[in-house]
Order: sequence, then C-alpha cells, then structure tokens
Amino acid sequence: MKKKKRPIGRTLMILMVIFFYLPILYMIIFSFNEGKSLTAFTGFSLRWYKHMLESRDMMEALYTTFSIALLATFISTVAGTIAAIGLSKSKKLVRDLMEQVNNLPLMNPEIVTAIGFMLLFITFKVEKGYVTMLLAHIAFCIPYVMLSVMPKIRSLDPNLADAAMDLGATPWQALTKVIVPQITPGIVSGALIAFTMSVDDFIISYFVTGSGVKNLSIMVYTMSKRINPSINAISTLVVVIITTVLLIINVAPIFLEKREKKAEIGKKSLVLPGAVAVCAILGIILLVNMNKESSDLPYAGQTLYVYMPGEYIGEEVVPDFEEQTGAMVVMENFDSNEQMYIKVANGEAYDIIIPSDYMIQRLIEEGYLQTLDQSRLDCMDELLDAVKSQPYDAENAYSVSYFWGTVGIVYDKTKVSLEDLEKEGFNIFLDEKYKNDIYLYDSERDSFMMALKALGYSMNTEDTDELQAAYEWLVQCVTTMEPEIVTDEIIDNMAQGRKALGLCYSGDAAYIMSENENMGFYMPEEGTNLWFDSMVIPANAENPELAHEFINFVCSYEIAYDNSAYVGYTSPNQEVMEDLSGEGGDFEGINAYLPRTDYVKDEVFVYNAETRKVISNLWSKVKITASNAN
Amino acid sequence: MKKFSQLALPYIIWAAMMLILPMALIALYSFTEHGNSIISFSFTLEHYVKFFTDPDFLLILWRSMMIAVKTTIICLLLGYPVAYFIARSSERLQNMLVLCITIPMWINMLVRTYAWIGLLSEGGLIQQILSFLGFGEVELLYTEGAVLLGMVYNFLPFMILQINTSLCKMDHSLLEAAADLGANPVQTFRRVTLPLSLPGVINGITLVFLPAVSSFFIPKLLGGGQYFLIGNMIENQFITVGEWNFGSAISVIMAVIMMLLMMAVKKVEIRNHGGKED
Repeated sequence: MKKKKRPIGRTLMILMVIFFYLPILYMIIFSFNEGKSLTAFTGFSLRWYKHMLESRDMMEALYTTFSIALLATFISTVAGTIAAIGLSKSKKLVRDLMEQVNNLPLMNPEIVTAIGFMLLFITFKVEKGYVTMLLAHIAFCIPYVMLSVMPKIRSLDPNLADAAMDLGATPWQALTKVIVPQITPGIVSGALIAFTMSVDDFIISYFVTGSGVKNLSIMVYTMSKRINPSINAISTLVVVIITTVLLIINVAPIFLEKREKKAEIGKKSLVLPGAVAVCAILGIILLVNMNKESSDLPYAGQTLYVYMPGEYIGEEVVPDFEEQTGAMVVMENFDSNEQMYIKVANGEAYDIIIPSDYMIQRLIEEGYLQTLDQSRLDCMDELLDAVKSQPYDAENAYSVSYFWGTVGIVYDKTKVSLEDLEKEGFNIFLDEKYKNDIYLYDSERDSFMMALKALGYSMNTEDTDELQAAYEWLVQCVTTMEPEIVTDEIIDNMAQGRKALGLCYSGDAAYIMSENENMGFYMPEEGTNLWFDSMVIPANAENPELAHEFINFVCSYEIAYDNSAYVGYTSPNQEVMEDLSGEGGDFEGINAYLPRTDYVKDEVFVYNAETRKVISNLWSKVKITASNAN
Repeated sequence: MKKFSQLALPYIIWAAMMLILPMALIALYSFTEHGNSIISFSFTLEHYVKFFTDPDFLLILWRSMMIAVKTTIICLLLGYPVAYFIARSSERLQNMLVLCITIPMWINMLVRTYAWIGLLSEGGLIQQILSFLGFGEVELLYTEGAVLLGMVYNFLPFMILQINTSLCKMDHSLLEAAADLGANPVQTFRRVTLPLSLPGVINGITLVFLPAVSSFFIPKLLGGGQYFLIGNMIENQFITVGEWNFGSAISVIMAVIMMLLMMAVKKVEIRNHGGKED
C-alpha cells in the first residue's frame, strides 16, 4: 500500500517545491540581469549588486533588520524564559490571566496590534524610530518564546528546584544549574521563532517606525512601485544569509552527532551552531557599518532629516551633499502630502520637507513651518519668476521651489488619437473605447481635479453639489472603465506602453516620453492643475542651519541639472530648465518638460480644511467602489 | 518557591504596558470624537454607526472574509496531502522536506511577495507559459487571482507544518490495528487518521485565516491600488486620511470578529477532544 502511493506523493512534493522556490529562483536570476526589466533577461551583470552596495538606504535596511532581530531575539528569549519560570510558580489565576494577555498579539490581526503600538507611542510622546521598533518587536516576540518554553517547564517535576535548594544550592544556582538546562530545547526553539518573526515582520514595523528608520520589509514596500532590480539583489543576499544560518543550525548537529556520538547532543549541538550563526550575522552587520569615518568637514557628525516623496531625487544628490558637507542625510519618503502631514502634525521632527503648494499653505496656517533665513539663501535669484510669489507663500518667506509642473494625460500615440483628446479632454477617461486600458492616479486631489475640470468646475470648488457630481463622475469611471489605480507604478508601465492612457504628472510624463517615443503628453483645454513642490523647514527642525545649506545645494546649477535630468521633473532653476529643454538637452522636444503657464483655466490648489476632508472621504469611497466592482 | 514567582512580576508590568494598554487605547479612540488627543474626550458611537450603515464598508468586510476563506480552503486542500506525504516518508526525507518548507518562511514576507511581481507581470514567465499553452494573453498581475496566489504562497507553509506535526505525533500502530480489524485504507483515513490530525488542521486554519483577513501589503503589491481590503482600509485611515478614531473603530470590529471566530474554532476543537486541552 505504501509503495503504491509514492508516485503521486512524489509528484506532489516536486510540484510543491517548485511552487515554493520558483519565485525565489526567478528573483535570484533577475538580480544578475544586465537590463532593468523584470521579465526579459538580457545578460549577466553584477551592476545591481554594485548599486545595492552603494545604496546606503539598502545597507541600512539590512542592518536594521538583522540588528533588531538579534537584539529582540536575545532580549525576548531571556525575558520570556524568566517570566515563564516565574509564572509557573505563580497562582493559577495569575497564570491563566497572563496566558490570555499573551494571546493578544498571537490572536489579534497583526494590523490591530500594530496600531495599538503606534497609538501607545504617540500617546506617551515616545519619539518613533529604532527604539520603538525594537520595543514593539520585543513585545510581540516574548509571547512566542513563552509559548514554547511553558510546556517544557510544565513537564518538569515541580519539586526539582526545592530539591536542589535542599541540597544547598542558592535559588540562582537552582535556576541556572537545574531548571534552565532542562528546558533548553524549549528556549532554543522559542528563540528561533522569535528571530523568524522579527525578520519577517512588516506590518508592526511599518506603523511604529519613524525618523527614517527602515527595515527590509518597509524598504521593499516603499520601493516596489518602480522597477528596481536592486531589490532583487538585496533579496538574494537575504536568501543567502537566511539559508546559510538555517543550514548551519540544521546540518551542523548531524556532523557533531557523528563526531561526538554520545550524550548531550540535544543541548550542545544546537547551542554551538546557533552561536556560529549569530557570529556570522554580527560579522555582516559590522561589515555593513564599517564605512563610517570621521572627517573635519564643516558639518561632520551632524544629521539632516529629509522627508520627501519617493523616487524624487537624483541618485547622486545626497551622496554629493554628504561628501561636501560631511553631514549624514537620513531620507524618509512619503506617498502623499496627507501622509506627510499626519506625521508632522504628530510632532515627528524633520529638517527639510518637500510638500506641495496647498499643503505648504496648510502647514504655514497651522504654524508647523519656520520662516527661512534669507541671508543664508543664495539661490533665490536663479529661480524662475513663475515659481516665486505663489499664493500659498506670497512673500517666499517659507519655501524654496524644488520641482514644478502640471498634471495631464500621458497617452500612447499609436493607440489614442490627438483628435479624441482634444475633443474629449479629461472625459476621455469615461470613453469606453479605452475600457480596461487606463490608469488613474491614486491621489484624492488629482483625481478630483480631473473630475471637476471634466465637468467644467473649478478644482478649488467648495460647492458640495459640484463635489458630489465629481464623485459620481469618478464612480462612473471606476465602475465602467476598469481602470488600474496606481501611483508611481505608472512610470515604468507607461514607458513600456502597457496601457493607452493615464493621468500623470508632467515630470513623470517627461521621463516616460524620454524612454519611449510613442508616448505623448496632453494638457486638456478645460484647464488643469499647476503645482509646485517646495522645500520647507519645519518649526521643530533640529538643524535649520544645515537645512539652509541643503536648500542652497539643491538649487545650485550642477546639482539642479543632474537632479532634474534624472527624475524628469521641471527644475525651477531658469538656466537648468532652459538647458535641459533646449537644443541637445535631455528633454529637447518633450512638451511635458515645459509646464504650461499663463493659461487662465489652469489653477493652483488652495487648501480648505472642510473640502479636503470631504474629498478625502469621497476618494476612499471611490476606491472601495472600484474594489467592490471587480 | 515564592522567590521564583516574583520573577514574573516585571513581565506582568511590561505586559500591562505593552500588550493591554495599546488595546485599551484603540478601544478608547474608537469610542471618542475627532481629534488625536485623549485629554478632551467625549463618548460617541458615531464611528461604529458609520461603518455598519454603509453597504460599501460592509461589502469590503465581506470580501476580505471571503478571500481569507478561499485562501484557507486552498491551503487546506493543498496542504493536507503534502503534510500527509511528508509524515509518511522516511525520517531523513521528512527532515529534509520540512526544512524545504521552512526556508521560504524564514525569508522576509515582503521579499517573497515581491518575488511574484516579476513572474506575474506582463511578458513574465507565467504569462508566456500560459500563452504557449494557448490561453492567450491572460492578465495576471493586479487581479484577485494574484492576491489569492500571494496569500496561498505566504501562508501555506503554516498549514503544512501544523498538519504535519499532528500527523507525526500519531501512533502508527493505530493504523495497523485499524487494518487488522478489517478497515480499508479509505475507512482508516476517515475514521482514524483524519480525526487524529484535526488539532493540526484547526491550528493550521487559524494560522492561515488570521493573517489572510488583515493582510494589506499582499493586496497592495499584487492587487494594485484598486484592490482594497479591510486591512487596506485601516491602513488608509491611519496613514492617509488621518481619521484615527474611525480607523480604530474598524480595528476593534475586526478584532472582535476574529475573537468570536477563534472562540468558535476552539469550541470545535474541545468538543472533538472531549474537553482535553494541552
């Protein structure tokens, strides 16, 4: 009977192994890809590894992940074991109660636990960062350790400790010499579970982190929108590290067993390879952290906390700035101005933030920004008049422009005719000819701008009927057109011509058009959003001096040129803009690079607390409707 | 004796701070008015009313439950035979297979999910295979199928390991006894193996269902921005919309539903075990 079943079982096992390892293998292979594509292998290269090693963000994420995992494992194993021993001698009532409490993180959906920690830290004004992440990890690891230690303690003879002490052992000796050795297997497996849980965690870390501290999961989550094969490279590295550790832990005992043959295998054999594994990881951490040297540059040893949208800065800007000033830049990214606002309003301190126009207005109104020290700024003269003295900061007292542009429609010239665009404007997003072939942008403000403009209203309307009409326009769009609602994913996807058209920022469109000449950018005649993203210094900035330095640096010709050429967004530096769009420039002939100015129907966003809330809620509902519709 | 029991004291204080207080805070936020401050709080049921009176929110909750149920069923159907086969193989093979299943679990969950993006995207390997097999250009990424796949991929190992553990604990002489008494393999499986592996199955279901309901990065990475589940809704309230009170209320609702489900599962388990717990 047994023999007969084998073939089915074997095929099943093989399929299962393929299922588990295919994605991992695929990822490893593409980490060696020469090209940027995730689907076509064009040749062997180590460039993504080089890229990864040069990216401090990635190396730090690796360091954070493993250092937190080791610390959390160590602390929670010790604390969990002690607590478990203590509880085993406590009253039954206490014991049962604590069992229930420990079940909270195990039985609650992870996101609930995560939000609990976040609210806790915010309520008690603990600054979010490495320490909060570590505390949270310890908190959810201890219950796992206890869960695996408890049964071992329960199986001990309750009189064991007493017997030891009767024989003259001190309580400490009884504990370390008698009890702990008996429960070692439970402790070891508890530690292993704690380590896995910590390395694996995303949700809890995501909610409790701050000050730019990222672990691997958070990094992958924020970077996954653009194609970035370095993620494959770093993932491969993680796979190698973890597999090595696991193999050491699992295989080493077999060898040791053979050599020693007798006795004490259960205990020692796990401790030794465990120690080897820990050392290996520590080594890697040290290696990663080694390249921190001291210098005598003006800002050596100082830190600049920058909070800005993701994928919005040239690769060399930060390293160059660090090299020139000796300061270290900690970069944190946000998906939306709203997300940024919540963090800033909750008191998180940054030195530089790069929000958009209407949000700057809000931050000024609510007192979150400090006025710039004009005597320290040497770049204002180089900026275009078009980006200065905008209504959100009429005196240019708080902000210096970083990039600017419009919102329009990026389209595939081979699939969409300009005639249609001119005839329909934003209403082309309701044209069923393009069903299942469009991208919407996941931003409440841009989506409502599009809908309001399509309906012929002002995008700054406060009229609830008009907002309701815009909401219905969007609902019609998501229920009849099957759009994909994306953010930065649109960039690589449109560059590869995956859909016919999408709502897009001019800067992203400029990049897309420079990558794929079939793509065009159209600004509808109904008018659109003219926007400005600017650098500001929050009131609670810890290093405003360095922040001014950063602003000057970013505005200087060379840096601004590289930055704009890399990202595709329009530089506020007049000379840079002219050079890049002029003859021989990277964006020669690309209309998206030159924002449309002086068109009456284009508007700049104005902040209004009431409408923002309405729009925010309505946009959530549009997304929910879209999700429920498919 | 007494001295040892004092060892638990620091942890009791820690647990009160780090485990109980956060839950209390969520509950407090969920019952209070706007504002992220607990100093001036006024009691309200508004957030709960808002959730339960909006058919769209309820539909999201329902869909999240359904996708978790689907994930659990698929994991069970795939996981049981695999666990069964592992438990039947020789000890060496068994260790190797268990290791094989454990390694992916150790690799970061986001990395594992991210790995699927390339495979599923347009022009990726799977689409090529499918079009080679004559299915045409099937869209894979950013569909419900992709989300389901991502969940099964991430949570299946839990199921396999749990079932495998309880199958391995089973006394093999029971099977021989059943055969000796004239039971055919199907009967033996139904009457002996299955009931004895039930604790593992139940644990497996818990470990799969729970994270599947609340996951928000799998839908986001593989389902795209237009794929919204209850987890995404909570994330959205806290990270983008900023309505923490409403977000807390949704969290409480979810936690309570999960608790009730877990209690129901426990009941089934206890009944099958004749009240014996270990």
